[in-house]
Amino acid sequence: MADRATAPLPLDPRAVRTAAAATDLEDAIRQCGAVLQEVGAVDGTYAEAMLERERSISTYVGEGVAIPHGTLESKEAVRHDALCVLRFPEGVDWHGERVTVCVGIAAHGGGHMRLLSSLARILLDPDRAAALRAATEVDEVIGLLRPDEEEDPE
Amino acid sequence: MAERRVSVTSEVGLHARPAATFVQTAAKASYDVTIAKAGGTPVSAKSILSVLALDVRQGESIVISAEGEGADALLDELAQIAAAP
Repeated sequence: MADRATAPLPLDPRAVRTAAAATDLEDAIRQCGAVLQEVGAVDGTYAEAMLERERSISTYVGEGVAIPHGTLESKEAVRHDALCVLRFPEGVDWHGERVTVCVGIAAHGGGHMRLLSSLARILLDPDRAAALRAATEVDEVIGLLRPDEEEDPE
Repeated sequence: MAERRVSVTSEVGLHARPAATFVQTAAKASYDVTIAKAGGTPVSAKSILSVLALDVRQGESIVISAEGEGADALLDELAQIAAAP
């Protein structure tokens, strides 16, 4: 289904931080939760759900990117689907991997999967992933996370 | 080449935690392990990005394949993860 892959991602420019700094993984995830809360996507309990999910298995996906998100049980904390992008130029130690970009995800059921899969398609392009790690402008980040329209329909 | 065909029953499909567990298990093999949607192009089962990009939803079927020592046992384990509710 083409619409799954090509629909715009729910990324509010106010949820993009290109020069964040975190002391550790937990701090980075709490910041993602706080930004998602600031744009009205989640309530205050969501960050804890993201941390719980992270403890069960790492959300590191390669290319210097982690995609922290809540658990199925935390979907009641989600008001609307949203992403946030926090860039940590100094890097954050992520279970031994170095993360420069955190894409926090808040979504209800099916929306979650669409977001994960759209993001994965984007990050599979190493050039695009490198550009994302290096992006210093909010518009650049938004542009890079726009799904390709020529994506193969399934 | 050994293969297993599995129907994914998890509410989140092969995403999030099930996908991560699946990839972590596949990555233990020293040989190639692939995953495809039924009739689709196989991708590496060791890459979380490839598995997420495949976008396997609840109720969809996948084919996982591998060839090498212990491939049957590994595929059984992967099939179990993919089929878990």
